[in-house]
Amino acid sequence: MYLLRRGWAELRNEVFVLPSRTLVLAWVIALLALPVVYGDPYVMRILTMTCIFAIFAASWDLLAGYTGQVNFGHALFFGAGTYTSALMSLKLGLSPWATIWAGAAVAFFFGFVVGYLCLRLRGSYLSLATLAFPLIALGILFAFPDFSGGELGISGLRRLAVTPTANYYVAAISMLVAVFALWLLADSKVGIVLHAIRDDEVAARASGINTPRYKLMVFAIAAAAAGFAGALFAHYLRVAGPSTLEVALSFQVVIWGIFGGVATVYGPVAAVFILYPLTEWLGSFRAFGELRLLIFAVVVLLVLLFMPRGLTPWVRDKIETQCPRCKQRNGVWRKICRLCGAALQPEVPGAQRLVGHQ
Amino acid sequence: MLQDILVTGLVNGGVYALLAIGFSLIFGVARIVNIAHTAFYMLAAYCFYALLVKTGLGFLLSGVIAVGAVTLLSVLCYRLVIEPVREHEAAVLIATIALALIFQELMLFSFGGHYLGIPSTLEGGVRFLGVSIPYQRMLILVVAAAMLTGVWFLLYRTRLGLAIRATANDLEVANLMGMNVNRVAMIAVAISVALAAVAGVVVAPVFVVDPFMWLAPLVTMLAIVVLGGLGSLKGSLIGALIIGYVEAITVFAVPAGAYLKGAVALGIMVVVLLARPEGLFGVAFEEER
Amino acid sequence: MLRSFVVGLAAFAIALGAQAQTIKIAILGPMAFVQGENHWAGAEMARDEINKAGGLNVGGKRMPIELIRADTNEIQSVPDATNAIERVITRDKADFLIGGFRSEAVLAMQEVAMDYKKIFLGAGAAHSKLGLNVESNYERYKYWFRPTPPKDVDLVRANFAALGSVAEQLRRQLGKQTPKVAILAEKAIWVEGIVAASQKNLPAMKMEVVGVWQPSAVATDVTAELSAIERAGADIVFTLLSGPVGISVGRQMGERKMKAIAFGINVEAQKDEFWQATAGKGNYVSTLDTFAEVELSPKTIPFVRAFKARYQKSPTYNAGTYDAIMLLKTVIEQAGTTNADRLVPVLEKISFTTLTGVLEFDKRHDLVWGPGKITGIAVQWQDGKKVPFWPPQVKGMQPFKLPEH
Repeated sequence: MYLLRRGWAELRNEVFVLPSRTLVLAWVIALLALPVVYGDPYVMRILTMTCIFAIFAASWDLLAGYTGQVNFGHALFFGAGTYTSALMSLKLGLSPWATIWAGAAVAFFFGFVVGYLCLRLRGSYLSLATLAFPLIALGILFAFPDFSGGELGISGLRRLAVTPTANYYVAAISMLVAVFALWLLADSKVGIVLHAIRDDEVAARASGINTPRYKLMVFAIAAAAAGFAGALFAHYLRVAGPSTLEVALSFQVVIWGIFGGVATVYGPVAAVFILYPLTEWLGSFRAFGELRLLIFAVVVLLVLLFMPRGLTPWVRDKIETQCPRCKQRNGVWRKICRLCGAALQPEVPGAQRLVGHQ
Repeated sequence: MLQDILVTGLVNGGVYALLAIGFSLIFGVARIVNIAHTAFYMLAAYCFYALLVKTGLGFLLSGVIAVGAVTLLSVLCYRLVIEPVREHEAAVLIATIALALIFQELMLFSFGGHYLGIPSTLEGGVRFLGVSIPYQRMLILVVAAAMLTGVWFLLYRTRLGLAIRATANDLEVANLMGMNVNRVAMIAVAISVALAAVAGVVVAPVFVVDPFMWLAPLVTMLAIVVLGGLGSLKGSLIGALIIGYVEAITVFAVPAGAYLKGAVALGIMVVVLLARPEGLFGVAFEEER
Repeated sequence: MLRSFVVGLAAFAIALGAQAQTIKIAILGPMAFVQGENHWAGAEMARDEINKAGGLNVGGKRMPIELIRADTNEIQSVPDATNAIERVITRDKADFLIGGFRSEAVLAMQEVAMDYKKIFLGAGAAHSKLGLNVESNYERYKYWFRPTPPKDVDLVRANFAALGSVAEQLRRQLGKQTPKVAILAEKAIWVEGIVAASQKNLPAMKMEVVGVWQPSAVATDVTAELSAIERAGADIVFTLLSGPVGISVGRQMGERKMKAIAFGINVEAQKDEFWQATAGKGNYVSTLDTFAEVELSPKTIPFVRAFKARYQKSPTYNAGTYDAIMLLKTVIEQAGTTNADRLVPVLEKISFTTLTGVLEFDKRHDLVWGPGKITGIAVQWQDGKKVPFWPPQVKGMQPFKLPEH
């Protein structure tokens, strides 16, 4: 009983006060309640894929948004997780529930290696260098076709769960847990350090922060999350092929990440949830289904022109304002800050606040 | 075999140089990683094809019109799409990716997904040192050399070139010195895409034309630019030659491993970056505020 | 007044209900590309032919065929294909599934189709794994059948048979007793077995293998390989190419005026667009193919002519969706039902005349390859036209041409 009252108090004081948090709560509830309300297997398939890609996109944001290491080859970790889990599951006969973690572990290792190789690289050099790794991996895979299945990949994998609904819940709950964990990491003191590294690595080092260690750690963790997503992908589709290492997938996650808003973790997740079903829905039209990629690119471009920092920052700015005194966020309809009581609206109507980072 | 390697490496290196130098120029001046660079190359190839095959204009006229049209288009795209979001690096990045995808899909939609062949500008070939070199490839070399010389002349012997180099060196000070950096950036974009378009027109008859032809050169070009040093034109040229030769050596020396030439080129890039993080001739940029 | 209204309403409802009784066949393929276009074209021709004759006779009831066009986009994205197949099964309520092209995607689609126990007829991917699945787990995969193309192993046999014929001509016309063969195979898993088999079989067929070159499937420049092949003095370039490298090979061989003849599998050379893609240089390039105006079966020539008249281009092997639908018609009318479990045994025992021969399925639900059944043909590009030349005993075949020496 106490827990219920406590839960309700938390909800009222922490969640409902801010529209963005309320939205997130509503979204989580909708996600979990979907199969109950609308049990269409096609819709569940789309959302399962969306959840898997959402983990992938969130992991990219941790790397690119928070430490500024914009990774153009994130598909490497996704593919590493896919292939590892597939190979172990098929060759060693292990259960997918076990091999998924192996996939994440191998991806973790790959993340460490790539991070180490890229330690001295900065900015665009790092981005373009990371582009190379999935392609090198593809070359190696094609060189050992008996092991990797060549262009065909590995097929005949087992599913994690039997029914579409069960698979959906596995994906959705994994996504919620993974994204929340990544967000917690980004919101903690570690996150502050990561921000510092992105903004000015020299200053961070001068302050005594061991930046290489943090950069490596973030690379490895982001890679592990991407590998986890890849392993889920393999066992859902039951095929693990070289399409998971393609440049197109790397570019796709970059688009999702930036479209949703870098350095937010929830931004790319929102982007995936909006863009992936949208493109799929467009593709289902017989008349212009073949134009889906074109429409996708045009949508991205148009949104970018109006919301250059990404979708979620723009939306957040519309529904919330930041208090100039205590820097905490409030609903946009409020007159005074909920925490410190400072005036949120300018005293003179029509005046614009020129200070304060939005 | 040595002659084969020498000649093939030179020709491929020349093509890559055209692409890489343009890319480096844009990056150096405007700090834009233009993912759509090779997409413009593809557009020029398609434009050339359409003009040549559908309207029957001569090679020279079709080529010139194709290059001009694509350059104009690039300036338009820059004004409409890139300039509004200039301050947000991340947005510029995916804006160029989105542009490339749009071009790809438009070509897919208009011309279909199958492969097109463009008739060679020059037929026949010559035997040189025991290697048969088609005239088309010599044309590529000649055009590449001419364009590169032209760019060098423009950059190092004209006032516009001085402005471009100054902007590439330090944008803020160039602005303070009274140069219209926006206009300079736009001109740099035009020159860069013109180079890519020339590459498309001259190279397309040798390769096949399809809506996805921009992906493979993109990766190789990025490898070259990184290898040579972002923003360094000399580095791009040398990087292009290196990668051209590496690919030729891979294919000739290890016939069964010809498919690995992309991976090997990228591997070399990674190795060089480990040793020299700014590339061979690159300059580590000062942190820009 | 009310009574006639009710009767009218009932009649309307019955008419509606009767109209809703169609057999839904989903055609899955990359619709923006040639393969998907051919899938759809072949299917359209079958549907129009069947519906004009009144539809299918299912146990006494006449039901028309309705086609569902599903763009799998499999060339660019494998998950798009699985989404598409799930959509046509659950949303559009397709009864039968036909199509597929990219092997990786078809493997994934096969899983979905087998989950729902729907009959899935392949019309594009030749990989043996699809049939192996049937053998290893019959109860699950029995709903998969592949009426076209022959599985990759059988394509090899066709290759060797036709290659022998070409070598024979070389021996006769040029007096070379042991023609030299250069194997030019793209780096892909489907060629591995064939390359190994070639290196063993060709010497037994009195041909000498002078080397194996493996460019990338998307290579646009094969100068290196061709220079080396020229230097090795090859008479035949045995091609195993499915990607655009086939175009580069054709064009560059023509530009270099190579004396060697290119024969083997060259998927790009099977398309009408090949001549234009090689800018007219791809003369003498030959490849295994499926359709031509020759009498492989009584249906071949009328179909090819009708296809060309309707779509202004020749059919590729993907237009075998026509055969797939006609096959379905036969088994449904024979079994009197559309129930998948009852149709499977009928399919397994059927002997059906298709556009290219007589179709029977083996225990892996792949088509049985061989003279008298289905062998495929070989064609050669001669001055802008695809000319069929093998098997020589079929009516309509023309002679194979060698380049001037």
